[in-house]
Amino acid sequence: MPTLLRYLSYQGVPIWRNVYAIQWVSQIASGILVVVLVAWFFVNIGNAIQERDIPYGFGFLSREYQTPIGQHFLDYKSSDTFLYAFVVAATNTIVISIIGVALATALGIFVGVCRMSSNWIIAKAALVYIEFFRNVPLLVQLFFWFYIVLALPPVREGYVISQRFYINNAGISVPWPAVNDAGMAVTWLLTAAVAVVLGWAVHRRLTRRERNTGTPSNSLAWGIATAASIGAVAWLALSVAGDGSPFVISQPEPQGTFGRISGGFTAPGGMIALLIGLVTYTASFIAEIVRAGVQSVGRGQTEAARAVGLSALSTLRNITFPQALRVIVPPMISQYLNLTKNSSLAGAIGYSDLTNVAKTMTQTAPAVSIFIMIMAAYLAMSLTFSLIGNLYNRHIRFNAS
Amino acid sequence: MRANLFNSRFNSAMTVLAVIVIALALWFGLGWILVDADWTVISTLGGRMIIGQYNIEAACPGQNCFWRPQAGLLLVTLVLGMAWQVAGGGVTKRIALAVAGVAAAFAFLPYAFSQMGLDVRLLLLANLPALAVGWSLARYTKLGTASWTAILSVTAFVLTLVLLRGIPGVPFLQPVSVIFWGGIMLNLMLAVAGIGLSFPIGIALALGRRSELQVLKLLCIVFIETFRGVPLITLLFMSQVLVPLAFPEDFPQNSLMRAAIVITLFSSAYMAENIRGGLQSLHPGQAEAARALGLPGWQTMLFISLPQAIRNVIPPIVGQFISLFKDTSLVYIIGMLDVVEISRAFIQGNPEFLANAKELFIFLALVFWVFTYGMSYVSRRVEQHLGVGER
Repeated sequence: MPTLLRYLSYQGVPIWRNVYAIQWVSQIASGILVVVLVAWFFVNIGNAIQERDIPYGFGFLSREYQTPIGQHFLDYKSSDTFLYAFVVAATNTIVISIIGVALATALGIFVGVCRMSSNWIIAKAALVYIEFFRNVPLLVQLFFWFYIVLALPPVREGYVISQRFYINNAGISVPWPAVNDAGMAVTWLLTAAVAVVLGWAVHRRLTRRERNTGTPSNSLAWGIATAASIGAVAWLALSVAGDGSPFVISQPEPQGTFGRISGGFTAPGGMIALLIGLVTYTASFIAEIVRAGVQSVGRGQTEAARAVGLSALSTLRNITFPQALRVIVPPMISQYLNLTKNSSLAGAIGYSDLTNVAKTMTQTAPAVSIFIMIMAAYLAMSLTFSLIGNLYNRHIRFNAS
Repeated sequence: MRANLFNSRFNSAMTVLAVIVIALALWFGLGWILVDADWTVISTLGGRMIIGQYNIEAACPGQNCFWRPQAGLLLVTLVLGMAWQVAGGGVTKRIALAVAGVAAAFAFLPYAFSQMGLDVRLLLLANLPALAVGWSLARYTKLGTASWTAILSVTAFVLTLVLLRGIPGVPFLQPVSVIFWGGIMLNLMLAVAGIGLSFPIGIALALGRRSELQVLKLLCIVFIETFRGVPLITLLFMSQVLVPLAFPEDFPQNSLMRAAIVITLFSSAYMAENIRGGLQSLHPGQAEAARALGLPGWQTMLFISLPQAIRNVIPPIVGQFISLFKDTSLVYIIGMLDVVEISRAFIQGNPEFLANAKELFIFLALVFWVFTYGMSYVSRRVEQHLGVGER
């Protein structure tokens, strides 16, 4: 017995009182517990699949989906496969997220700046906006906007602004660029991409020169001018060489007896309500983030800038904001992620986002596989947003050197 | 006034513009609220907004079950009365008075007696004596301590659940299926259960994520990031489709329970990150000093680190509570008729009210706002009480 005890002890401490041993044993035990639990779930799912003859696997992806999707940015018809329908739905979510993020940022910064205004009325108005919109469930706000849109007059009695913009309960129709000639359009888009890269390079080069030598240069204006001129030249060249310009503006026009609107781009009511709801809701959070960020910049910074003679606007733009960005960006990224995830409420007001389509798909396809795909899609979106945000964050934060 | 509103030409212009916009908004807004808006949709929906379909014939055949949610409310006011006496006034007193007062005021709603019976009204009025009984219990018996109040509030919650669910075989408590639970009652119950449970789970996850035990840490990270990466609505939906498959068929479970668990776990993942932020904001000297004084690790955590960490992150924690309460409206995805979904279903089922949907949803927004604003008000008072930012 004493020999055994000697083997089971380390530096005179028996093994069951050794901290490291206890920690490792408990960790391994908890790990095994979790693995067993997860395995038990999967065994149960497997049994249920066998007993109740539930379909499983990913074979369904190449089958035809055969269900219409209300609104889609990619071309879609009911004979397309499940996989493609999934991509179409994911694109819907991504498009809404990107537009929503851009608009919410603009509105949020505006409200945040108003909130900090020295003007009492404007500051209070911004406060009321923030307190109201962020304290009410997004779903309630979405329904409110949705029923407002639904209450618009029907298509034939809708509002028409200068024969270009149609507003009615089917949605809002606006003029939209349409592809005239596919080959030319692709060529021009590629040239435009190159032009943007070149403009960016010019901007960077001039900024660096300004920083190094102090020679003033309107780097931003030059960059934009470069990109715009290359794009314009390419546009003209293509129009002259080919038959008309690469894109034409397609005007919305009422058709037939019901006045259904074709041409242009029609944003359906659900999408408009979703965008308004998401943007006003997220902006109220962004406004608070902006305020916290700006207030985190020491008062001395602003005072010094004003003392040197910068105007209030210039102080905000050149002194306060660049410093505030360091505090603002991380929570802002999480707000963007929230907006992306909140767009999954779209199903409630009839916009075909990823969750909504996936929910419909589970009626004809294995739920387990759909669940895995949807998790992967949202995680991928989250990670991409985080990655972009973190890269930007690295760009603007204090450098260690 | 001059310094604030008219100190520069730009500011003066902004002031005038803002005043004009606000005046116009008030003019049209008030005109709409008082004249054009038709608020009868709210009174038509009436009690269904509060208890959902709990009282319909299918839920409670042959009986009037309206007294059960009301008895639950009486228990809540009773505990609030105790809390008022124990806390010695302040914000607890205001909440207690507001809850009992509003409940009692509901007794005087101008419905006909055929729509809202005398028994219903009397039970609502009974909230005032219940408050007084709770207060006296705390004042004149040995129950007037914080720990007893805590124990009794948990008991009251469980009792309310039992009351609502019913007990098979008891004549006046026949079981009511959870699919009939609804209205703001459902939102509040989900929120209370979620808040009560996600806080300790969140602390545990935060500690796990900061732990030096690698397996534990990994498990916590995977859990937190998975739940944070996916929308709650997706999780809720899958909890109905997938989770039933993952348990044996005879495993006791129901849709509401699964929803409550998913909401709680989702919220704990966010809570964990908030608390982790609070722990990170602490100077390591605090824990080191505690260890140097000879406190064991768990006592250092429980009595030194955690209290300070949580104090530092009260605003985000309460923000998470608020967001949990708002998220309870997502249970529509599993077919539960919470206050938002029952309103939407009502509008859909009664197209004559379609034009009045905005009135209904403005009203709902106000109802939610009162609760959430109340929560952030309490959080500010608690912060003041603890002197955050002063030390």
